[in-house]
Amino acid sequence: MKEGINVLGRTKAVKPLMAIFLLCFIFILLPPDASGSEKPYRIGFAVPLTGAFGKDGALVKDAYLFWKETINAMGGIEVKKKRHPVELIYYDDKSEPQTSAKLVEKLITEDKVDLIFGGFGSSQVIAASAVSEKFRYPMTSGAASTLKLFDRGFKYYFSLLGKAPEEVRGCVEILPALNPRPETVAIIGANIPFSADAADGFKAYAQKLGIKVIHFELFPMALTDYNSLLTKIKEKKPDVLLVGSHSLVAIRVMKGLKEVDFTPQGVFFSYGPTVPDFLDSLGKDAEYVFAASEWTPNLPYRDQIFGTARDFFNKYFKRFSRAPDFVEAASVAGALIQQQAVQELGLAPPLKDQDREKIMPFLYAKRFDNFYGPIRFAPDGANEIHPPIVIQVQRGKLVHVFPADTAEGKPIYPMKPWKKR
Amino acid sequence: MMLFLQSLLNGILLGGIYAACSAGFSLAFGVMGVVNLSHGDFIMLGAFITYWLLILTGMDPFLTLPFTLLALFFLGFFLQRLAVNRLAGSPPIMSYLLTFGFHLVLANLALRAWTADFRNVRTSYSGLTIDLAGLILPYSRVATFILAMILILGLYLFLSRTETGRAIRATAQDREMAQLMGVKIFKIYALTFALAAAITGLAGSLVSLTFVIHPQMGLPFTITAFCVVVLGGMGYVPGTLWGGMILGIVESLATTYLTAGISLALTFFLLLIMLVFRPGGLFGKGIVES
Repeated sequence: MKEGINVLGRTKAVKPLMAIFLLCFIFILLPPDASGSEKPYRIGFAVPLTGAFGKDGALVKDAYLFWKETINAMGGIEVKKKRHPVELIYYDDKSEPQTSAKLVEKLITEDKVDLIFGGFGSSQVIAASAVSEKFRYPMTSGAASTLKLFDRGFKYYFSLLGKAPEEVRGCVEILPALNPRPETVAIIGANIPFSADAADGFKAYAQKLGIKVIHFELFPMALTDYNSLLTKIKEKKPDVLLVGSHSLVAIRVMKGLKEVDFTPQGVFFSYGPTVPDFLDSLGKDAEYVFAASEWTPNLPYRDQIFGTARDFFNKYFKRFSRAPDFVEAASVAGALIQQQAVQELGLAPPLKDQDREKIMPFLYAKRFDNFYGPIRFAPDGANEIHPPIVIQVQRGKLVHVFPADTAEGKPIYPMKPWKKR
Repeated sequence: MMLFLQSLLNGILLGGIYAACSAGFSLAFGVMGVVNLSHGDFIMLGAFITYWLLILTGMDPFLTLPFTLLALFFLGFFLQRLAVNRLAGSPPIMSYLLTFGFHLVLANLALRAWTADFRNVRTSYSGLTIDLAGLILPYSRVATFILAMILILGLYLFLSRTETGRAIRATAQDREMAQLMGVKIFKIYALTFALAAAITGLAGSLVSLTFVIHPQMGLPFTITAFCVVVLGGMGYVPGTLWGGMILGIVESLATTYLTAGISLALTFFLLLIMLVFRPGGLFGKGIVES
């Protein structure tokens, strides 16, 4: 036999092999280089690029990248008649809160960035913002909204979104206006901070409007097969299904609904359908789905850098060949207001601790208006004047259907049964 | 009653998928003692092969099966010759380290190549259902179930009826004795690992019809495979069928009558009980003796 069993020899041979694997792995994790020139603003963030929120997190990365490219194309951020380019430093937090916190600490203490932007996902941002708070870095975040973010008494955390339970307000307030008016709802949600809060929000608003909640259940993220869960709900025959979700959960729910042949009159998601993957992967099966949103391009907002909301949408589309999601608009808006702060306060890089301490009261004191809409921060850091929007998938497009005064189309209701499509 | 039957049916169909996803894991473990932590990534690769063939050539997912089978067979063979072979005779921890390395490399290469997008194999028949006296049967799950049964039966027949299959089993039972009887065990190892990878890839193609596809989908399947194999008996291939069924049915019924949250906890509780009281699996035919 050619291959003898030389135990020692074989074990040794494994070592270099493992080293190669390790090197490959490290190489894979290295973030791409950021461009730089003299005295740039160095801005850091940690987002999920892999793991459960890898896709959602990549949107936030694109948003910051888009902001950077736009600003650098204009020559940079102008402070005291000098233009400073922007340099982004970012890492993949792998959808892990502890990693996100560690990376933000690394950005602050090792990379010594001037400013910090928020990442994606409530759990990650809770952990990361605790670090930025400790080092007194204002963190503007457009992609996290669990209630837990706002009851910590933090001063340096600013959310462009409303609080999670309030974000879904529109999805319930639209119900009484629908025909036939839904009497009962079933609520399910993934049991992680944002989507569980959203489920609670659905419940609270439904009760307030006198709509009967006939089923309420939170399920673990680790659940991959939803058929039995949905079969159970189908038996109870709710008029409407409300789901606390991220994009993966939303896709799984739609697949499951079709497989158990269950068509409620309406399906609403707290998040997911606005992420491009949802439409790409479900195609026609995504029709009639409703979702909460905080921004749509038809809204009458504008600023000097991006122009109108529609202009922003068009430029974004041109850059990435896809429509921007509302969390991307919110993330860019966060970047814009930090930019506005350093400009108006005249803070040139490199920023010192006392510089950043000046930004915090500045952000609380002002009302901001840009393509994303009106922004004013409550003392807990939540954006308190943003409208709760509902969108619906109609003929493969996201159509703003609520509130009625800014809507671009009427809701289609009830949903067409699977068998009749 | 209808709800119970529907839930049971959901569980059985899910169980079939679980069984198909675990057969390769059981084979590699039974014959070579290799706990393949990159098992789920083979499933991911199988799913992606089907997805890309569908997207790029419009090939029906079921027709992609031979391609997946071949591709993963060669990948398995290559990985075995390159690395797994070198582990013969070394402690089990080495196989964990090595295959975990495979997992990291495969999952991250897939991420680099295909991004973290969530993808979905969409055909004219995906999600369509048959209504059988009030019971809802999704076509693709039924087809997956049937193919899963054929897969396991085929593997069983191969192992019990063919010369090579017998050599594989002989190697699993007593490596040195098999070697003395003239079995070329390193060839058998390479073949076994390749075969395990191939059927796992095939299961991946089947899975792509029901589950969302993304580069990180693998690890949960490795965990599922571990549960299935412990339930059915480690290294006892037909046992994966029973293991898969039990897991699928328990998960489904618990979700329906208790909560979805408890169903996963229950699965692991079951696993714990089995490991403590019947480490040889339900029928005690696993290679780990009680």
